Amino acid sequence: MIEAKGLTKVYGEKTAVAGVNFTVEAGQVTGFLGPNGAGKSTTMRMIMGLDRPTSGTVTVNGAPLVRHAAPMRDVGALLDAKAVHTGRSAYNHLLAMAATHSIPRKRVHEVIEMTGLAEVAKKKVGGFSLGMGQRLGIAAALLGDPQTVILDEPVNGLDPEGVVWVRNLVKYLASEGRTVFLSSHLMSEMALTADHLIVIGRGRIIADAPIRDIINGQGRIRTRVRTDQPDLLMRLLAGDGVSVELQDNELLEVSGLDPRQIARAALDSHTMIYELTPLQASLEEAYMELTKDEVEYHSLLTTGAAAPVQSGGN
Amino acid sequence: MSSTTVEPTPSGRGAHSASTPAATALSGRLAGPLSGDGTSTGPGPSFLRVLNSEFIKFRTLRSTLILLGSTIVVIVGIAALASWGIGQALQQSGADPRRAAAIAAQGDIAAAAPSAGISFAQLILGSLAVLIISSEFTTGMARSTFTAVPKRIPAFLAKLIVVVVSAFLVSALSLYLAGLVAVPIFGQYGHTLDVSSGHYIGTLFINSAYVAAVAAIGLALGALIRNSAGGIMSLVGIFFVLPIALQIIQGDFVKELRKFIPDNTLAPMTAADHLPDTLEAWQAALVLGAWVVIPVVLAAVLLKKRDV
Repeated sequence: MIEAKGLTKVYGEKTAVAGVNFTVEAGQVTGFLGPNGAGKSTTMRMIMGLDRPTSGTVTVNGAPLVRHAAPMRDVGALLDAKAVHTGRSAYNHLLAMAATHSIPRKRVHEVIEMTGLAEVAKKKVGGFSLGMGQRLGIAAALLGDPQTVILDEPVNGLDPEGVVWVRNLVKYLASEGRTVFLSSHLMSEMALTADHLIVIGRGRIIADAPIRDIINGQGRIRTRVRTDQPDLLMRLLAGDGVSVELQDNELLEVSGLDPRQIARAALDSHTMIYELTPLQASLEEAYMELTKDEVEYHSLLTTGAAAPVQSGGN
Repeated sequence: MSSTTVEPTPSGRGAHSASTPAATALSGRLAGPLSGDGTSTGPGPSFLRVLNSEFIKFRTLRSTLILLGSTIVVIVGIAALASWGIGQALQQSGADPRRAAAIAAQGDIAAAAPSAGISFAQLILGSLAVLIISSEFTTGMARSTFTAVPKRIPAFLAKLIVVVVSAFLVSALSLYLAGLVAVPIFGQYGHTLDVSSGHYIGTLFINSAYVAAVAAIGLALGALIRNSAGGIMSLVGIFFVLPIALQIIQGDFVKELRKFIPDNTLAPMTAADHLPDTLEAWQAALVLGAWVVIPVVLAAVLLKKRDV
């Protein structure tokens, strides 16, 4: 279990992590989602004792990593694909890491096999692709057979087979009762992997809930309706959980009702509608919606919040 | 797909039945029972284990082996050249009593020939020491090192020991080989060099210890600066630029200051007699010690404090 309390990190004038509180439970995959620069990596570095919190604490199984008697046996982390000396072979890197905890050579071979590095294990890490670097990082994280596994953007640079492998691996680790904390900036990846989601933006926790709740809460169906009598239709559609927004004098955006219900209401009241376009927010859009005020770097060309699923028949 | 018992508490490890393709591939490989509170009881990073790890790291980099090898080549090579040059000078001076007297006044210059390459050795091994730690920061390896040893200081001390001991041993071996090469060269000029005398062995020991001290300074600079080029340039600044700069500047204060730079501590420690304008041997040893201890302690304190 990982627990952060009032965790804060300030670099000079920039606050990377602003007093976050969260708990990562054992036995499930907890996703750590946020745009680039949101503070994910900084938080993970603080968990691993590499960065000192400016204030607040973060503990693993009740104690900061520095107080663990055998850190690699308690926590394994992939923090950065390039946390390896480029001049050393993968095998020797793992051997040196293992030596600190008297982890037997047999285990080094096991993690090499497990991560599919057997063929390149004797080669210098400097020549590794990003994907192989990630596999080596995961191998190093698993070396101590730790109860807590922290992976920062593990699928970055992996080929499709590797992506599936990581998904299955983290689910398996969680099924064994381990604590798995996984970061990504891609909602779609989280949707496939995580059980629980912690969303961070500009150093603050925006959401902390089971993934199902986050998806359901944000991915509501909206429908664009064009009619000559918007006021009448608005009154007709009004109800619990339904929101109707008047966009201009003949365009409505309705959420909380599906197009069939809207069409039925229009038919029953003899209101003519001449456009009925479902607008489905994808998970990615839901995430963007969630973090739109929290991203640090906006691109100059922003697309609309939602694109029509199919072009409306005007 | 058979369902796996998944319980949210760390104590409730489900049956390890395979539920996913990965699980099938992994089952039995993630061996080792997990303790109930998630705090494992296996061996942790004791100092000897960290030392072993640092030694593995040291010997598994080709650059390390190349630099150690070149130290041997440089010391032995320069010793051979120096022996040849000194031998010739001695031979020519045989006909000229005034030059013979001048050479004799310099003490046993033949005995100094094997260690003629020591300043190059200090540059190579000092740079190696810088690289041992700066390269960990430039490649990101430091993150692996200090997550395995989050207390950090044991890893730094282990690096220090590996670097200092290897610098000492490689210097001593090179100087010994240099002596063996020098003996027959001097022999050709009818001069003898006793490489088994107590003084010669003592000098060899002091020269090697000096190179080891330079390596310790290099490691400290590497840890403080965390950049290979910057660390090596600082080392060169202290050992090569500073002596020359102080040589150029005149004045009593500078003349006094000159005695205290690390490059000028070796001569008084190895000279048979006290040399003019230098410290006493014991004072030189203390000054060199201070040059080692201050940056090493500073590096250790900052390493503990700073973010990796």
